[in-house]
This record gives sequence, C-alpha cells and structure tokens, in this order.
Amino acid sequence: MGIKHQGFNVIILILSGIAVAYIAYPLTTILTFVEPSKLLDSLTRPQVLNAFVLSLISATISTLFLSLFGIPLAYFLARHINFPGKFIFRLIIIIPLVLPPLASGALLLGVFGPYSPLSKAFPSVEFTQSIVGVIIAQTYVASPFMILASQAAFESVDESYEKIARVLGKTRLETFFKISLPLAKTGIILGVIMSWVRAVGELGATMMMTYNPHTISIQIFEDNAIGGLSQAVPAIVLVILLSIIAIIVFYITTKKGRHDMLKFLGSEQ
Amino acid sequence: MNNKLVLELVNLTKKFIGFTLGPLNLKVDDNEILVLIGPTGSGKTTVLNLIAGLLKPDEGSIFIDELDMTNLPVETRNIGYTFQNPGLFPHLNVYENIVFGLTKKGRKDNHLQVTRLINDLGISRLTNRRIQGLSGGEMQKVSLARMLVTKPKIMLMDEPLAHLDTSTRRRLRLELRRVLQSQSIPTIYVTHFEDDVYALSDSVSILQNGMIENKGKLESILANSNPSPFLSNIFGEVNYLEGNVVHSKEEITTFKIGSHLLQTLGDYSVGSKVGILVRPEDIILSKEVVKTSARNVLKAKVTSITKHSKSGIADIHLTIDKFRITSRITEESIRDLGIKEDDCIFAIFKASSPQVVREEYS
Repeated sequence: MGIKHQGFNVIILILSGIAVAYIAYPLTTILTFVEPSKLLDSLTRPQVLNAFVLSLISATISTLFLSLFGIPLAYFLARHINFPGKFIFRLIIIIPLVLPPLASGALLLGVFGPYSPLSKAFPSVEFTQSIVGVIIAQTYVASPFMILASQAAFESVDESYEKIARVLGKTRLETFFKISLPLAKTGIILGVIMSWVRAVGELGATMMMTYNPHTISIQIFEDNAIGGLSQAVPAIVLVILLSIIAIIVFYITTKKGRHDMLKFLGSEQ
Repeated sequence: MNNKLVLELVNLTKKFIGFTLGPLNLKVDDNEILVLIGPTGSGKTTVLNLIAGLLKPDEGSIFIDELDMTNLPVETRNIGYTFQNPGLFPHLNVYENIVFGLTKKGRKDNHLQVTRLINDLGISRLTNRRIQGLSGGEMQKVSLARMLVTKPKIMLMDEPLAHLDTSTRRRLRLELRRVLQSQSIPTIYVTHFEDDVYALSDSVSILQNGMIENKGKLESILANSNPSPFLSNIFGEVNYLEGNVVHSKEEITTFKIGSHLLQTLGDYSVGSKVGILVRPEDIILSKEVVKTSARNVLKAKVTSITKHSKSGIADIHLTIDKFRITSRITEESIRDLGIKEDDCIFAIFKASSPQVVREEYS
C-alpha cells in the first residue's frame, strides 16, 4: 500500500517537473541568442520602443473598454442562471477564444474594413492601419479572458450577501459596488491582468486590422523575419519583463496574492 | 391591552411546483415575538422571504403599519432579517458590518445608540476584529446588531441559532428575548425546535404543509387540555413551567408556581418570572410523600397514560395547577406503583434538572 502510494507521488513529481521545465527552459535560452553588451543598445532602438509604448497604450485602452462592458456582462451571466438562450450567449462569448486570431481579424475586417458600411458611415475615422484598429483587435481577442474570469469571480460570491445588503436598505447599484464587486475583486483583477497581457501579446487579429503602426508583437514578428531571432530578442525581453511585472501587480493588488508572496519570500530567507 | 398592529398578511399565497404556501392570514402586534414553528419543508422560510420582499407572492397582500408593502422593493421595507448563516460581509470588520445599513449621517447621528446596543450585546471588545476569527455565537450577535441598528419595523429571524452548540444556543436565546424586548421590535422567529417556543415566544403559529394550523398566545396553547395530535407531536418532548422568583442565593433560585415552591440552579432576580424546561425522563413519581434529596416535589393529578409501543416506556400526563407536565417511566413502574388515571401523585425532580430558558422582569 505504502509503496504504491509512494510510486504515485514519484510519477506525479516527474510529470510535474517535465511540465515546469518545458515552460521555464525557453526563458533561459532566449538570452543566448544575443550578446549581453549589445542587448541594451538593441532595447533602445526607436522601432522597438515605439512598438512597446503603442502596445502598452492600446492594451490599456482595450482593457478599460473590456472592464466597462465585460464586468457588467459577467455579473449578468453569474446572477441570471436560467434565462432563455443562455447557452447561445455563453457560446458567443468564447468565440474569440476558440477562433484562430487571424480568423478573428478577418471577421473584424468585415465590420471595420475600408469597404464596410461602418467605415462608409464614419469616413473620418481610420478603423484600420491605426491605433483604433489595434484597440479593436485587442479588445475582441482579449474579451473572453475578462468575461470568463469575472463571471467565475461573481459566481463565487454567495448571493445571500447581496440579499442581506438589500434588506439593509441598499439599492441594487449600491449592493453591486459595496458587496458584489469588492468580494469578486481578486477574480476580476485576474481577469483585468489576463486580458491586458493577452492584448499586449496579440498578433494575428492585430496584423489583419493594423500592420502599421507596429505593436510589440508585430515588431517581434518582423525582426525575426528580417534579421533572425537575435534581432527579435530585445522586443521579446521587453514582453517577458512586462509579463513578470503583470504577475507581480496581480500579487500585490490582491490580499491572497500578497499573502502567497510574503510566504514565498519568507521561505526563501 | 391596546396592542398596535404592525404586520398583517392577507391571503398571502405563493405557488411552487408541487407545493403551495397559503393562503396565509397572520397578524403581528407591536412588541410581540411570534414564533413560527413547523417541520422542515412546511414553508417557514418562504413566509419570511415574502415579507422581506425577496420573493413575490402570487396572491395576497402584506401590510406593515397599515401600508401595503406587497410590491415594494426589498430595500424600502425597513425590515430586519437574520438567517441561519449570519452572512457577515467578509471584506468588512465587525464594526463596519454593524453600521453597514446606516448612511454616513445615520452613523454620526446614531453613534450613541449603536454603541449602547453593541455594549448591550456584549460585543464591544470585538468591534475592530475581522469577522474571520469570530465564534458562531459572536457572529450571530454581530448579525443581530447589524439589523437592529437600522431600527427595523419588524425583525424576521430564520433559525439563527440552529447551527450553534447547545450551551451557546441556550445562553443566546435568553439574551435574544431580552434584547428584542428592550428594543421594542416585533419579531417573527422561525424554528423547528420546541425549546425556542418556550424561550422566546409571546405567541405561537404552527405551520404545516404551507398552512397555518394554529395561532395563539403561548399560555393558551399550553393550557389546551385537549391538544390535536399534531400539537401533541410538536409540544410534548419537554415540560415547560413558569413561576416567579421569590429567593435567589448562592446559585440556588427558588420560584413559585401556584402554591408550589420549586428550586433550580443559578441566580435569577427576585421578582422576575422564569420559565424552565424539564425533560420527562427527569421526573420520577411517587404515590406517597418521601424524604428525598431532590429539591422539587409537586402534588399532581394523573390525567392520562400513553404507552409507547413495544418500548416498555409510558408517558404519565399530569396536571399541576394550570400546568400540564409529563413524566416518562417504565410500564413496570406503573404496574408496581399501581398508577391509574385521576390518581393523586407526587412528581419529583432535582434542582439540577431544569433548564432556565426565559427570564422576564416585571
């Protein structure tokens, strides 16, 4: 019995180790493609910096849009369990997640492309080949991350808290802001960060909508195509740093995250 | 008695698949604690949810202070509602939970009353604590305070003590009636525990299969000499006696029931009225006066004998002045003593047997 139990643990440990190595090892190899002394020079190349800044701005705006529309939608889905057509609703929400990003971009071109009715209705707005196009593509592709994470967060909030708040004289709106939102905070922050990171990393749909100006992902794609991996490394390093910062932000903005981080740092000492 | 009507339910009906609640007609007066007792699934919680506005009735009306509240939203009804689960907001500390229902101005204006209530409930040392470390009893007290500070027109309580351990439940029940009376808030208290009826109620309603079977003052239900089988089923597992304290010293209290003096453990105020519960198994019977260490010997009359099928146990129903009590003894004892209906007999129990569930000051 004991040997069987130990055998199971060993198998789990080996498989877990392989999985972690598979994820972590590429991070260590990327720096070997470029000499460290040249890395800083490459990092400050105007094309890389401009692409990086564009990605930060567009991803932030996309995430703001997603927060504005996605969080109320997530709350609606979490609290209205049995409305007719909910299944179809759920399917529609995950379409951007399951669709290849290039296909998503093609669908968006159909709506926002130069010959679309929308473009004709608003001729002064450049929906493609502009930051507007980048934001549209990023918002579309990142939307499931915001909605699904927030929905799960609201579903985890016991509805009785909301009922008690209503009994105590709070309106639905007050109850949402004073009870539902604070209690779902951790999951929503996770949704915000995941959708922001997804927006920064978006390539396929963005390429279809806006190749120029370059986002950081398009810059990586182009540098790799023209000059090989060594030329793409500075932009890749920036994206990796950004991801690490996003993880840290998540940890310090949530109570559980802070607790886990302190525990981690404590165990390191 | 000029009691003011606070709550009135008129033909209130709610239909579910396979179950219909009502039509219910119910009245609750000012300062009245109505205990609504009934088996699981009888619709007790639904009644409270309808009054609170968490459910909409299919038919009928709800009047509070003569205003029709039937279709008003929950937040405008000014009702207090405590659940089995205290439902304290986990992201707020104890004090923030308590004042949650007050506006900023309300918090300032009612600061003294809030502090007084917190002190009265004995939770002042908890106010800065996070709710995660509180005991079940403390949580229920905070939950009660949170509702009471809003000065609700009526309190609805859905078995708030059900999940607490027995001793905490007993202690809290005594406090609960005192606090509700001191706040002068009419209350509907839902339970399936017989003890709660004795400990808390001014009046009792019995709900079965979605209908109110009986409503009346506690005394009239207890004085009913011919209870229905359903009533006997609910009331009969414990004996309830009520009397006035005449003496209390060194943890022994003497109180008077009719012409009898009884003793129980604990100190209670002279002049107050106490209600005690005694288990039928704790009452022994004697045909003659005996010298015994038990402090309570009551002269009683046998009204009926109910034999439990096959167990060899029987309930001897007795009357002592206006009270009816039951002693549970073996059939062999009945035969040995020759107990039969209309016999005069002595019911005996120790001072440690009763559990004081109620204390009221005149």
